[in-house]
Amino acid sequence: MYRQSIYVLLACSVLTGCIGNDFVFDEVDPVLRITTSIDTMQINTTLQFEQMYLNNIGVEESVNATWVSSDESVIAISTDGLAEALQEGSSVIATEYHTADGMLRDEITVYVGQTASTGGASASGVIQTTSSYLLEGDFTIQETENGIRIEIAENYRASTALPGLYVYLTNNKNTTANALEIGAVQVFSGAHQYDIPNVKVSDYSHILYFCKPFNVKVGDGEIR
Amino acid sequence: MLNYNRIVLAFFIVFVSSSLLFAGGPWPQAKGKGYFKLYEWWIIFDQHFTDSGNLDPNVTTGIFNTSVYAEYGLSNRVTAILNAPVLSRNYMNNLVSATTEQVLVAGEGINTIGDIDLGVKYALTKPGAKYPIAATLILGLPTGKTNGGEQGNLQTGDGEFNQLLQVDVGTSYALGKKSSIYFSANLGFNNRTNEFSDEIRYGLEAGLGLAKSRLWLIARLNAIESLKNGATAATATSTSIFANNTEFTSIGFEANYYITKKFGVSAGFATATRGEIIAAAPSYSVGFFYDMNR
Repeated sequence: MYRQSIYVLLACSVLTGCIGNDFVFDEVDPVLRITTSIDTMQINTTLQFEQMYLNNIGVEESVNATWVSSDESVIAISTDGLAEALQEGSSVIATEYHTADGMLRDEITVYVGQTASTGGASASGVIQTTSSYLLEGDFTIQETENGIRIEIAENYRASTALPGLYVYLTNNKNTTANALEIGAVQVFSGAHQYDIPNVKVSDYSHILYFCKPFNVKVGDGEIR
Repeated sequence: MLNYNRIVLAFFIVFVSSSLLFAGGPWPQAKGKGYFKLYEWWIIFDQHFTDSGNLDPNVTTGIFNTSVYAEYGLSNRVTAILNAPVLSRNYMNNLVSATTEQVLVAGEGINTIGDIDLGVKYALTKPGAKYPIAATLILGLPTGKTNGGEQGNLQTGDGEFNQLLQVDVGTSYALGKKSSIYFSANLGFNNRTNEFSDEIRYGLEAGLGLAKSRLWLIARLNAIESLKNGATAATATSTSIFANNTEFTSIGFEANYYITKKFGVSAGFATATRGEIIAAAPSYSVGFFYDMNR
């Protein structure tokens, strides 16, 4: 009887604690994004424009997107994105990709002048909680020589009660899968910054805060 | 080093402790007598109480403990106590994309020994007192694993040595010839090391014995109040990956039935009615016990 009891309890312990599946609703709208950072093209020069297509889970895929210019007399562009600045003025450069659900499009206004200018890519946003944990604050992103710098503003506050709070850059705010892990959060109040090499401002759509060990989303901030 | 699985462990420790109270309370074992129990305790939770007391989701996490509990009377006033999770399993589920059905984060599990509790209960009143009072010192030995799995986020122990000093008081009455009832209350202080906050613990318990005490129905209320004097994620010296300052109030129910004169079975559950940084799900236990006092 005692031996049987032990067997039953041990079996209960081992067999019932099976690893199952938790489903993450991670579908997002596909996005086509111009990643070339340019404000002004120098007249009589060429520039290869680049785009990024992110699928319905925010993962980059190679697609045959086309390029168009609103004013071919100012900037002529081939369907694969090679642009030529022909005369001073401005033109809207757009990339387009047709999916089963419709057309994706992104566009920027590009000027043609005597000198080229990238304009200094930058973005900003607001960090906000998506959980019951405190998380708030503004941020800006600037391109640096070898990457980007995220500057979190003085009004930032985060809960210190949460276990394992990590910060990421992502194109899918629902999961840390395929996200770039910046690191464990070390500052829970006030201004601070993160320098991230080999990343462009246009590479990601969101800053993401996750409790890494328990995979709990804490909050996010859209990069605008 | 503090660790985030304190969420889990706090739940584990507290509800194991609550299961111990049936054989505990202010009543010591008689010299040479004992109470022994082999039991399974488990909890599976996919949400937790946050630091504001609200509920947030988390990856489904399970803990299963197969434990041995023993009380033995060294004298009529001194009882030795052991609680040993001889097999402790901690696991987390896979995270799977609902869009692609691909595994985003692979689940993991570990099976090891858990943290062992050693203690001694001393009866402050003479055996047979109408309102017995006992003091108990429990030492929580960090024998479990603190960083299991590839990501190091699975635990069967918290890695800290704690000392719980508790006082129990109670009383019991006969209800006719076949029934009896008891009440007990406890108040304790849990001194914790490694930057964890100390705790005040208290509880109430009532047990109703039926069928000439062959069947015991027990209700419990337990609570932990953190003194919040430990480290936070912002001040921890070793890592920011941890949870501390766990608090909760729980209610639990348990049934114990003597199949023979000394051998019986038990089953129970408990659940938190409010909490902070703690799992939000019922815990369950089933077990077999041997009572030398009958």
